[in-house]
Order: sequence, then C-alpha cells, then structure tokens
Amino acid sequence: MGSPGLRLALDPGNKNHPMKNQESVLIDSASDFHKVTAQPRTSIEVQNVTVSFPTPKGTFTAVKDINLTIRKGEIVSLIGHSGCGKSTLMGTISGMAQPTGGQVVANGKKVTGPGPDRGIVFQNYSLLPWLSVYRNIYEAVDSVMKDKTRAEKREHVEQNLKMVNLYAHKDKLPGQLSGGMKQRVAIARAFAINPSILLLDEPFGALDALTKSAMHVELLKLWNLDHREKTIVMVTHDIEEAIFLSDRVVVMSDGPAATIREIVDVPLERPRNKKEIVHHPAYMEIHDRLLSLLIDKYSIEDYKD
Amino acid sequence: MQTIKFMLRGVLYFSGGMLLLLGVWAAIAWLNRNPEATELADKYPLPTPLMTFDVLKEIFTQPFQDDPDVKGIGVKLWGSLLRVLVGFGLGSLVAVPLGLLLGSSRVLMNLVNPVVQILRPVSPLAWYPLGLAVFSATNHGGEGLLNPSSKAAIFMIFICSLWPTLINTAFGVASIPQDHKNVGRAFGFSLWKYLTRILLPYCLPHIITGLKLSIGVAWMVIVAGEMLSGGAGLGFFVWEEGFNAGKVTHIIVAIFIIGIVGFVLDKIFSLLQKAFSY
Repeated sequence: MGSPGLRLALDPGNKNHPMKNQESVLIDSASDFHKVTAQPRTSIEVQNVTVSFPTPKGTFTAVKDINLTIRKGEIVSLIGHSGCGKSTLMGTISGMAQPTGGQVVANGKKVTGPGPDRGIVFQNYSLLPWLSVYRNIYEAVDSVMKDKTRAEKREHVEQNLKMVNLYAHKDKLPGQLSGGMKQRVAIARAFAINPSILLLDEPFGALDALTKSAMHVELLKLWNLDHREKTIVMVTHDIEEAIFLSDRVVVMSDGPAATIREIVDVPLERPRNKKEIVHHPAYMEIHDRLLSLLIDKYSIEDYKD
Repeated sequence: MQTIKFMLRGVLYFSGGMLLLLGVWAAIAWLNRNPEATELADKYPLPTPLMTFDVLKEIFTQPFQDDPDVKGIGVKLWGSLLRVLVGFGLGSLVAVPLGLLLGSSRVLMNLVNPVVQILRPVSPLAWYPLGLAVFSATNHGGEGLLNPSSKAAIFMIFICSLWPTLINTAFGVASIPQDHKNVGRAFGFSLWKYLTRILLPYCLPHIITGLKLSIGVAWMVIVAGEMLSGGAGLGFFVWEEGFNAGKVTHIIVAIFIIGIVGFVLDKIFSLLQKAFSY
C-alpha cells in the first residue's frame, strides 16, 4: 500500500480516526492483500480545480471545478477543442500553473510547483538551442539526481539517449535535428529524470503523420521497458492518438469555464498494434463516441440549415 | 574554391569602393584649386590624395617615437586606444551586471529606466567638464593616463559606453522566451545553473551587440574628447598638428586612421557576435 502521506492525502483525517485504526487491526492479512489489488494506487488527484486569470476585461475562468483521479501506471489523454483549457489543467498537475481554487495531489503530495516526480514534455520541445542533445539531457539529470557521481550521470544520460536511438546524434545541436528527433530528445529528457508521472502537452502536434505514428509506438515502448509503472497524462486533440495510447480519454467541454464532459474508457488489450487496432469493433465504437462528443457536423450537408 | 572566389569578390568590391572615394576626393580637390597660388599647400586648400599620401609616408616613418616633445603617430593612437579601452572596460563592467539585474526585475527596471532615458541622450562631451572639475579637485598628481584631463576623458568614455550595453543586456534578459525559463523550472535548475545554462547563453548575443555599439560610440567620442583634453592622442593630433598648425593633410591622415581603427574594432565585435550566436 502507499505511503502514509498518500493515504492522508486521499482521505484526510483517515489516520487519526480511532474506528479506522481498529478496523485495520481486525483485517487479516489475506483480505488486506486483496484490498491492495482491488484498489490500485492513486497517482494523481485533481480536486475541484478551478483556474482563472485576471484580464483587463475581468476574470477569465479557463477550467472550473475539475475532479479527476488517475491511477498509477495509467495512460490518460485530455482531449478537447483548442482553448478548452486542457493545457491549463495540465499545468496545474505539472505545477507550472497554480489553481485558483481546489488542489492537485500528485504521489500523495499537494502540488505547489514543478517537481522531479513529474517529468514534463513541452508542446514545442523546449530544448535549449545552445546545448548539444547530450547536454540538454545531462543538465536536467544533473539538476535532479544530485547524489549521483559525474560518471553515473553520464552513463545514465547515454543510456537514455540509446533508448530513443539518438546516441549517434548526441553532439548535435537541436537546430540540426528534425522535429521528430527533437521530440525524442524532449521525451528522453523527461524519462531520464525517472519521474513516476510523465506529463506530455500536445507532444506530437507539430509532427507529420508518419513520424507521429512512429513516436506513439516509441513512447509505449519506453513505458513498457519501465514495466508500465509510469503514469502518463497527455494533452492532445488527435482522437486516434488518444485511443491508441490511452486507458482513458478525458473529453473536455469547450471553454471558458471548461469542465470534464465525459471520460471514455479504452478497454483495448495491450500491447496494441497500430494496424490491427483500427479494425477492432471496440476501437470503432470508441472512435465514434469521441467523434460525436467533439464534433457536431460531419459533412457539408450538415451546414445546409 | 567557393570561399576563395567569395573573398576575392569582397576584395574587388572593397578596392572599387576605395577607388571611387579617391576619385571623388581628387575631383573635389581639383575643382577647389586656387590657380594663382605658388605654394602647393595653398594651391589646393583641400589636399589631393597624392599630397596626403606623401604626408602619410612621412608620419609613418617613425610611428613609435616616444620622446617628451615628439610623439609618433603610433604612440598617439595607442594613447587614444588605451583611454577608450579603459573607459569602455569600466563601463562594461558596470553595464553588463546592471543590465542583467534590470532585465530580471521589473521593479528595478521601472525605477532605473527614467534615469537612463534622461541621461542617455546627453552628449558625452557634456560629461567631460564635470569629470575634469571633479578630478582636478581631487588630483593626486597622476601622470599620463592618470592626469585629471585624461581621467576626465576616460570618465566620458565610461559614461557613453554604458547606455548601449545596459539597454541591450536588459532587453536580452527581459526577452528570454518562456519556453527556456520553463525548462529551468520544470527540471528544478539551481540559480547558478539557470544563470549559466539559460540566461547567459541566451543573452550573450544581445550583450555583445551592446558592447559593439558601445565601443563604436566610445571611439567616436574619444576624438572629440581629446580635442578638449589634449595629451597624446588622435583627437589632439587632429586639432593641434592639423588645424592649429594649418596642415590639412594631417587632418585627413588622422581621419583615415580613425576610420580604419573604428572599422577594425567593429569587426572584432562582429566576429565575437558570430562566435557566440547559436
């Protein structure tokens, strides 16, 4: 079971309650074990999160009263129209933005800022253009893994570079790389600090369809290599991408004051195969459901009224 | 092969431009001639290129002569350069850190910006008497570079080389893209890491642009400053040995030297700019 901090955060007051303590004493070890498997560990808890910004025209509320619980090792996509506040919501999880109401609990701790337990892949790669591929990752590793020696850090960076097949390009500057390669560096950087939560903000939005497809498989490969223990939250506006990667797809309503419109489960077996999955009846059903949630006009015929 | 061709073309264009300049100059000198005069110097109030070349050769026979009463042109050039480098160096030492601070803090920027905006348009020459008055009053009997008038000239260079570096550095810091800052925040960079891996690398091209503008202004101002301050320098050479001695050729030679040195200084900073842009 999780750390005491985690329990406390999930259910404040739980530990101090005398009844609860007695109960836990009474439970035999077998049923306790059963309880663990039945209730997988929570990775992220978004609790009544509201984000508003002051603007010259008054307060603008981007997202309102969002509640979302994400389990450890789960892949969840946030999908919605442009400007619906998916990136804002993501920002409150990463700690890059502060909610004006409610709170986010990640790994049992209230999020007050970015932390090494959450690796972020930014929308536009955000590599430092004056540092080589290697150095871009090294600086992040150096910041986070303070107790490792120089040689250990170097080896760790090189290992992560090999994982995304960029070892041969390690001395290049980001400007010399293609979009897909840059994104692989950004992903390698986020993986390299070994976070338990990976946050991807429209990571493949700027890539062409073929590269994008390859990157999906690559991301799942990395997740697999890590025994599917990392929780991944991804912002996207690509329905196919969301289904292929996710366990659940969170559909946001249109902003301002966006909320969760619906959460669609994706009960497709893993490992998934890009080519085969699209013919799966469940896939088609989910695809249809998401399409109807996101789009209300499907043909020029619909514009006739 | 391609680069050689490219360089050759550059040399050809440069020579062409120079020839054009000499041609226009010779034409004006000839149109401006005084046919009745007997002395060559009187015949051409604006000396011809050839006359100037003769004087140039003469001036450069002993460029590094350094006697108490006779100083070679090289010594004078070095005097001017030294004043510029000291003033510019001190100015940059103040302007770069201050610019970094101003760029990072909106409060400081708002506080200091009005001061900069008021002092920046002041002609650097206006600072000279102020410097001279203060340094003369506190004169500890320095010589050469350290006498009051030389100190005042350095002070003037110091002031005028502050502004471009200060403004460019502050602008550089203030314009660091949010993306780059986000990297620092997301991966928990320490202040030192943020400064050395994000802030400075991003701002360096801006800082160098500021330095380049500053040294350009400083070099322009030193000539005017030395006309006021005297001493061994190019400005004083133009005024004393050129105008006061009635030798226009000396003025023209000095103009060329000033121009070439300014060009070289600018080129040095252009090379730095190239080396530090990513």
